[in-house]
Amino acid sequence: MTTVTAPRMITPATTQSRIWAVTKLTLTNPWTAIILPWIILGIIFLANVAIWLLITRAAPIGAARDEAIEGFNYGGASSFIFIYMLIVAIQTINLTFQYALGYGVTRRDFYLGSSLTFVLLSLMYAVGLTILAEIERATNGWGLGGRMFAPVFFGDGIWFERLWIFFTAFLFFFFVGALTAAIYVRWRSNGVVAFSVGIAALLIAAGALLTFTGNWAAIPDFFAAVQFLGGYSLSLVISLIAAACGYFVLRGATPTN
Amino acid sequence: MNAVIEVTGLTKQFGSVTAVSDATFSVQENTISGLLGRNGAGKTTLMQLLTGQQFATSGSIKVFGESPVENARVLSNVSFIKESQKYPDDFKVKHVFRSAPWFFAEWDAEFAELLIDEFRLPVHRRIKKLSRGQLSSIGVIVGLASRAPLTFFDEPYLGLDAVARQLFYDRLLQDYAEHPRTVILSTHLIDEVANLLEHVLVIDAGRIIIDQDAESLRGSATTVVGTRGSVEAFVGDREVLDRETIGGLASATINGLDGAGKAAATAAGLELTPVSLQQLVVKHTATTDMNDHKQEVEINR
Repeated sequence: MTTVTAPRMITPATTQSRIWAVTKLTLTNPWTAIILPWIILGIIFLANVAIWLLITRAAPIGAARDEAIEGFNYGGASSFIFIYMLIVAIQTINLTFQYALGYGVTRRDFYLGSSLTFVLLSLMYAVGLTILAEIERATNGWGLGGRMFAPVFFGDGIWFERLWIFFTAFLFFFFVGALTAAIYVRWRSNGVVAFSVGIAALLIAAGALLTFTGNWAAIPDFFAAVQFLGGYSLSLVISLIAAACGYFVLRGATPTN
Repeated sequence: MNAVIEVTGLTKQFGSVTAVSDATFSVQENTISGLLGRNGAGKTTLMQLLTGQQFATSGSIKVFGESPVENARVLSNVSFIKESQKYPDDFKVKHVFRSAPWFFAEWDAEFAELLIDEFRLPVHRRIKKLSRGQLSSIGVIVGLASRAPLTFFDEPYLGLDAVARQLFYDRLLQDYAEHPRTVILSTHLIDEVANLLEHVLVIDAGRIIIDQDAESLRGSATTVVGTRGSVEAFVGDREVLDRETIGGLASATINGLDGAGKAAATAAGLELTPVSLQQLVVKHTATTDMNDHKQEVEINR
């Protein structure tokens, strides 16, 4: 051996651009995560308008009408989007993991890039829903007393409280989805079953604790004390724990055939 | 010569099954190496270990001088194309070629375009709707156009027709000549790639049983044919890989027959025939315990 030169290597991109590349990868086809949800939301909205029209026409005056409009407050029509995003998170992690690894992406960069996607999507949907909720309130429920984007579940605060509530709710569903998918990618179905059983056991244990200490009233008291804003803000703690756990679970995952 | 890959005492166990067993070898820069072996011999596991996709049970792996596991400095140089590659559910072919350049610094878009044309790949079609062969073409094109300094092709051409396979070999050789890099190719179609390979690694039941340059390997075994008596007499205590008898005639494949040995065989009235790489691999790997193989195959499912 007379001359030893190191093999030619490519200078790796910066950490930020590697993570950003993963974010772009997860959104290469924007159809599933961005376009389709808005289309579905639009269709649900039109269906709701039709229903509001029917109900207000059937009960044109008096107490019946007031009661019907009161009922609009509890519309769950926009809740589909949160469950949908849970599934988007699961699909993104599960289906892109192997693919990205083949491109020489590290698990770390993959998870951070996907997480950035989830934060950006949360932000986009939170802003979108807040705008629609504000329009809904300003037009007295699209002129029909209807409520789809500002139902009672998201509080009655001003716009930036609502924005925060939507944002934290989306983060919650995205990162619970990310953790579930990471568990699936690492341990397959057995892992997800064990995880679900663990969560269920935890909830039952908490229920037992409240029952035996006679403290069930503490729950409504607690939520009355923290109110909507506090409740959603607290979900951020769960989202952060899920995000961190997802990271550590996925770092030990290997692709399987 | 420069080693791009250096593996020492590498073992990978899945539960009680040993997929890779105490492997030690190196791969030199700017060579095309064949990783050959039977189904379930450990080829894919070995490649996954080399690309940081699997974690070793014991032993050391150095790729570009460092461990590949979670190492962006190393992995930025690596492209790993596998037969069973899964794509995101909603991807069309064009999405693969839109996203691949973000991960390969030396991606050649023009070359990719050319290959897409040559392989007649429908870019607007959803990946789920592609035929097996078209799916394989995507991998082949990404592997070639990525120009990664270290490229792995794991059974890249399942379902590709003979024309497309020839196209792959031609393009690989041509592009390799213009842009030298290190290529590791695992395949069952050994005869087809025999001329491409500069180095051969044969893995059997998790063990590296051959690690040799292709040229010397090709000349390493010889089949002698003649009457049963003269073949038996010639073989003596030479290492025999394979033996066949038909009536009064016999043939024996002898490992490492040197010039003097060949002369002796000719003098004994035996006919000498060279052994192709494929026959050689078959003869080296066909005799091992079948139970081992069954276990290996099962774990890979």
